[in-house]
Order: sequence, then structure tokens, then C-alpha cells
Amino acid sequence: MSEASRREVRAGLEPSLARLWRYALVLSRARDVADDLVQATCLRAIERADQFVPGTRVDRWLLAILRSIWLNEIRSRKIREGGGFVDPEDVLTTDGAREIEMNITASAVLRAIDRLPEAQRETVLLVYAEGYSYAEAAAALTVPIGTIMSRLATARAALAKLK
Amino acid sequence: MTDDDAELVALIDNELDESRRTALLARLAADERLRQRYDELREAGAPIAASLDALLEQAPLARLRAMLPAEGPVRQPSGRLTRIALRELAAGIVIGLLAAGAAAWVALSFGLLNEREDWRTAVVQYMALYTNESFASLNPDPSLQALELKALSGQVGVELTPDKVALPGLRFTTAFILSYDGSPLGEIAYVDATGAPVLFCIIANGAANAPTRTEKRREFSLADWSRGGHGFLVIGRKPREQITEWAQTLEKRI
Repeated sequence: MSEASRREVRAGLEPSLARLWRYALVLSRARDVADDLVQATCLRAIERADQFVPGTRVDRWLLAILRSIWLNEIRSRKIREGGGFVDPEDVLTTDGAREIEMNITASAVLRAIDRLPEAQRETVLLVYAEGYSYAEAAAALTVPIGTIMSRLATARAALAKLK
Repeated sequence: MTDDDAELVALIDNELDESRRTALLARLAADERLRQRYDELREAGAPIAASLDALLEQAPLARLRAMLPAEGPVRQPSGRLTRIALRELAAGIVIGLLAAGAAAWVALSFGLLNEREDWRTAVVQYMALYTNESFASLNPDPSLQALELKALSGQVGVELTPDKVALPGLRFTTAFILSYDGSPLGEIAYVDATGAPVLFCIIANGAANAPTRTEKRREFSLADWSRGGHGFLVIGRKPREQITEWAQTLEKRI
């Protein structure tokens, strides 16, 4: 089982990179932190490969590891370093210096998502981008399903105000 | 946000159970304001998936791929935070791997020191992380030992077999690969009867030939030599004479 676990974890890393990075960016709102978070996740995944059950979803397992590293290791450091949390600048639509080219709607929606509190941002990403069901998101975020529903509703309501 | 919003969103996302769904649909049929709110919430969320997918295109894939641990040597990680992150993770990763008894091949890049320090200093630094518990529980059978050594041989380019690396008074526990400054760094970890670790390290760094020299660093004795473009090092919390003896045994055989 160990050998199969390690093989599947290794094979699952590269195809998941972009999604891991997206999750890392949405959580951390900092591109350099996102890179480090992805790398730390890959290392931790290999370290813990024996814990992965072959045949289960390695992408979701990786996302869970990333979240855990963010919450337990990097988030508190970022708070100590950065002071506040909701930086005014647009992290999802700018590359430090310049606006990233994308269609107008996507840009407006990402800017709005950027401004959501972390819990809502994360829930939106897991349910609407990663395809988690409400039950799966509730388990991943260890909150009741009702909380998932209200976070998504608040997020949609905020986006509705854009019109 | 109204109290109904959560229910409406669950309906939009097809997450309502049959009875609640039926009830809400009935309310919607009778309530135009509720229908408007349903439409608002539905339209507001419609572009979310596509917008977040646009983010995927921004992922710096080349850089991320380069940071993936490879089967072989790993390039130095870039990014100012990464060295710190790896140093903090390193103790956990290496000891965690060993505690799990994993003979996994992991190439770790220890950006512990700047390029002016040499690889032996890096070895001393992480040797200090090991305890008598780090390796003592590992008890590979001969075929696993041969397998690990064969893989390590392939990485560092020095032929190693269980016979060649056997040392009196020490038991082989594991062999793994790290990398220092882009060069593959092989580690063979032994323990003595008390579990105290002794490492035999081999680095493919193109160094010029040099005879064995010994020194003491912190509480460790080291003996190192270079030949054929490889550096060799034996290190442990042992008297210098003992380390030197082991080093000379290995130097003759390899």
C-alpha cells in the first residue's frame, strides 16, 4: 500500500499545481506566499504519502494539506508581519505592478471576491471553483452546512451589489 | 442578505432536499419579489466559476514545477521566504520521514547556508537535529538495504553495496538523498548499540582529491576526504579516533 500511495501522490502533484496555487492565492492574497505555500504542500504531501489511501482523490487531499499548512503555520506569521489582513490592493487581478489582462466580467468578479472575508472567499472557491458539494465543503472547513449556505449567500449578495 | 437568501442559494446550487425544494418552489410561484431576489442571486453567482478559472491561467507553472521535489537533485528554491520555510520544515520532514520508516527518495534542498559555507557545515547543522530516536527504530531487511544503496549509488555516482558500507559496531538503518547547492548529497545513517546516529555522507561536487582529515565541530567528530570528484564524510558523536577508523575503512573500500 505504501508504494501505491507514494506513486499516486507523486503523480498527483503536477496536475494539481495550478489549482493549489489558486487556492493558496485566494487564502493568502500574496503571490510570494502562494508560491511558498504550494511548495510546502508538495513537500508535506510526499512526507505524508503513506497516509494517502490509494484510489481516493489525491487533488482534494492536497488541497486539505495546503489549507492545514496555511492555517497552522503561515497565516499567523503573516499576521505578525503584516498587521492587518484585508489589504486594499487587488491581489487577484494585479501582478504586483500591472493589471492582468482578462475579460471585464472576470476582472470585476475577482475584485469582488478579493474583498470578501477569508471564510467566504474560501467557501466560494471550494464550492464554485473546485466543485465541492455543500456537505463536502462543510467537512473540509469543519463548519455546519448552514454556515456554508450563509457564506455563499452573503458572497452572492455582495456580488449582486456590483450591478 | 435576507433570511431567504441562504435557501434561495441552496436552490440555485441544487442542494435543497426534496421537501424544502418543493416548499420553496411553491413560495416562488406566489411571490414576485422572491422571484426577483432568486434571479439577482443566480445572476450574481453565474460568472464566479469562470472568473476563478481565469485565475488558473495566471499560475506560474514553470516556477512551480521547478520547485517540485524530483527523484533526483533539486534546484535551489527561489523566493525570499522559501529558505526560511524549508529550514523550519526541514527538521520535521527529515525526522518525520525516518520515524515513519519510509525509505522514500526525497530530494530536499537545504538552503541553510550561503554558497561560501561548505557542505560539511550543512551536514553538521542538520546532524544536530538527530537524536538517538531518529533512526533506531529502522530495521531494514538486507534486500531493502541493498535497494536503498543501489538507488543512492545511482544518484551520487559511487557504487555502494551493503558489504562496502558495513562498519564494525554500527548497524545500517537507512540511506537517503538530499542535495546541497545543486549537488546530490547521499546520506547513509547507522546507529550504534545505544541508537546514537553516525552518518556517512557522499556528495558529487567535483571536488579535487584530498586525503582524510579529521576535526571536531561542536560535539561531533568528522573525518572527510575527496576522490574522483566526490566528497566523503563520516560524522558522529564519537571520539575522533573511532570516526577516523571508520572513515579509513570506507576510504579503502570505495
